[in-house]
Amino acid sequence: MNEAMALAIALPLLGGLVAVVCPRRGHFIGNLTLLLNAAAAVWLLSLVMQHGAASQLLGGWQAGLAISLHADALSSSLLLLTALVGLAISVYATRYFHSSQDATRFWPLWLLLVAALNGLFLSADLFNLYVTLELLGLSAVALTALGGKRESIKAALRYLMVGLLGSMGYLAGVAILYTAFGTLDMQQIGARINVNPASEVALVLMTAGLLLKTALFPLHFWLPAAHSNAPAPVSAALSALVVKAGFYLVLRLWTEVFPEAISPQGAVLIGALGCAAILWGSWQALQAERLKLLAAYSTVAQLGYLFIGLALLVSVEEGVTRDILFGAVVLMALTHGFAKSSLFLAIGVVQQHAGHDRIDQLDGTAQRLPATTFAIALAGVALIGLPPSGAFLGKWHLFSTSMEIGQWLLVAVMGIGSLLAAAYVFRVLGHAFGNAAFASRPVNVAAEEWPALALGLIATLLLGLGGAWIWQFLEVVA
Amino acid sequence: MTFDALLLLDMLLAAMMLMLAVAALHSHSLRQGIILFIVFGLVTALAWARLRAPDVALAEAAIGSGVAGALLLAALRDRKPRKQKTPMARPAWQVLTVTYLVIGLALTASWAFLDAQANHAGPRLGAMVQAELANSGVANPVTAVLLNFRAYDTLLELAVLLAALLGVLALGPERTAPRAAGPVVTHLVAWLTPLLIVTAGYLLWVGAHAPGGAFQAGALLAAAGIVVRLSGNPHTGLPSGVWIRMLAVAGCGVFMFVGLASMSGGANLLQYPADWAGTLILLIEIFATLAIAASLVLVYLGGRPESWSSGGKNARA
Amino acid sequence: MLGIVLAALGLQAAILQQDAIRRILAINVLGVGVFLVFIATAYQGADAPPDAVPHALVLTGIVVAVAATALALALQRRMESSDVDADDE
Repeated sequence: MNEAMALAIALPLLGGLVAVVCPRRGHFIGNLTLLLNAAAAVWLLSLVMQHGAASQLLGGWQAGLAISLHADALSSSLLLLTALVGLAISVYATRYFHSSQDATRFWPLWLLLVAALNGLFLSADLFNLYVTLELLGLSAVALTALGGKRESIKAALRYLMVGLLGSMGYLAGVAILYTAFGTLDMQQIGARINVNPASEVALVLMTAGLLLKTALFPLHFWLPAAHSNAPAPVSAALSALVVKAGFYLVLRLWTEVFPEAISPQGAVLIGALGCAAILWGSWQALQAERLKLLAAYSTVAQLGYLFIGLALLVSVEEGVTRDILFGAVVLMALTHGFAKSSLFLAIGVVQQHAGHDRIDQLDGTAQRLPATTFAIALAGVALIGLPPSGAFLGKWHLFSTSMEIGQWLLVAVMGIGSLLAAAYVFRVLGHAFGNAAFASRPVNVAAEEWPALALGLIATLLLGLGGAWIWQFLEVVA
Repeated sequence: MTFDALLLLDMLLAAMMLMLAVAALHSHSLRQGIILFIVFGLVTALAWARLRAPDVALAEAAIGSGVAGALLLAALRDRKPRKQKTPMARPAWQVLTVTYLVIGLALTASWAFLDAQANHAGPRLGAMVQAELANSGVANPVTAVLLNFRAYDTLLELAVLLAALLGVLALGPERTAPRAAGPVVTHLVAWLTPLLIVTAGYLLWVGAHAPGGAFQAGALLAAAGIVVRLSGNPHTGLPSGVWIRMLAVAGCGVFMFVGLASMSGGANLLQYPADWAGTLILLIEIFATLAIAASLVLVYLGGRPESWSSGGKNARA
Repeated sequence: MLGIVLAALGLQAAILQQDAIRRILAINVLGVGVFLVFIATAYQGADAPPDAVPHALVLTGIVVAVAATALALALQRRMESSDVDADDE
């Protein structure tokens, strides 16, 4: 188990270092590393399934002094998500970055990003999380700036500033927690914490900082520009994985470190913000003229669902309902990860072939790029939450729990959100299936297209049909 | 008597920090603001020293003031001296709202912090550090924490520096080097550079049992590089091609290797064998210092130097 | 305490200032403020040795802050060189 955890972090990190030293072999190093990383993630997942959750104290020192890593169902499934999506993105990026110059710049940063994600999901130490957050943020910003256009640079700079403010908020919270409880280990703090002003304020600070980085409404203002102006593989990574990291941390903090300090008002606030995110994000997505912008706003909306799930989680008592809900939230997070990355990769293919990503000029895409259009359709199904996608199961449980506790507003908002999602997905598909001005032969670019297709299939079919597995997994390990 | 004098000094430091911060952030000219910021950093270093944090004081002076200051001044110089459009002042209601919100936040945070200090439950980690110090291989507790107890953080931190470096390199070519300086500066630099290098080496060595260590040493070494650059040397003393790239990753890389190697005996990641700990730490620190220095000089260059991507001889853009 | 005030100053300026370099300065001041809170916690009086863990954390924080500053400045430089005489932003 220790080796698996160490490998998950060491592999991408070493890969990144090698990619810096041998820039000409970037494609090879990147893909090999991600492949090995995927193997390590699967290994870790299977170990967790067999033996349950595990911790590792780095350096062998005792708890509190050492930094501890923790692998449980949640972290290992997110690790697997990162690994699979990362692998698909790497394959796609091999074709996307034609010029060797761009490739040289992409691979080391990309590998560092994956290392940061793995480190973040496995870490159980508050300050260590800060460092992984910074690594994640800086590499994400640098990757965003690879777009080269002025909008990309501007979006990247804004992302950086906002990210730094968020990190500082988080760090301030950690400072207060350390002053109060004398440790940085999440489990130790969870044991020692009690409801007092210090912990409440620390919670608010840390959550606010993380929400800024996760782009929950109304702190999402930086996201659409950043995600829509980055190169396609980067956008996929940002929307599918990086924002999940922020959500994951809020989830962890709220359920493990601060469970007593959360007030009902806090939950209501988060729920309300989630609703606003869904409505506003979906509405903007419907009006978007560019595919990438649509996808970025869709991310804002989908994050709303996740946060509604979080709000519900902390409002419901311990018990079967809560466990089911937890699994539902995780399932939605995973499905969105696969679906959104599939969408962005597919959009990337379209953009490269059509030269643009304007929605109203998409006519005929279905004819020229059938596999990609199918991928978009699959991703769309998962984003709307239609069966058999994993999101359907997830939303179903969110709906039923909301109805159970009488939160009809949530039900209404989620319903409207799903309808709006259907609207914007069908708008895209409508154009894609429209008649082109002149018939064109299908273009066959398998290597570019299959990553998007594969991810879409996972989102819609695999997670949907196999979704029940997640509850078993969480139960076994919890 | 002594007590009063020290208290007075502390209050003076605090007041200076506040005034400098306000002045730096709200000054009319950006150049003045940056210079005030540098002074702010130095006063902060004094404050750290007064709070018995000498390692932090050294790092703040070298990195927080020195390198950051150099970067900021270089950035200012980059700005084309075109007619600066005076930005529209923010509407008053925005300024007031944000200010009040921030004040409210600060008051809440202060209340929380004071409460935390008053009611803190249980000992902090300092006692544990002191207890295990003997087993860590070094005598300086801060070095022990950085490179042994919480070595993983430092490993990732080196990766953060690398990520920033890669980002800067990806954005464009380096700034043009300053013209070769006149004889006075050249002679000064010739005298200053070896001094800086030796001091850096000293800091690295002494970090094991006194304030110092890899970061401070790396910053001083970077200062040597910056000074060489400022005297007009286009190569800035850095090697080229694959060597510079290896140098940049060496810190993180060696750290990682040692960490993984220590697992071969069935131990946890980064668990050094007890009798090798001191040597391993020194090894890691040496490479970390070099990597930090190289990275800081490279980001000071502001972009990709010609030498970065060359295979040694012919440079590719 | 001083740390919180400094952090507040930095935060206010970071939100309100429009020029990128000023914002970077502000974020750095904010950082120093937070670090001060950490070091204050570490201080155990004039006799006992201070708690070394926050010192290490702040050291890490300083390096991270400089790295982020470098990246931000490079981004700003690239942006400024790409607008010849743009009028917006």
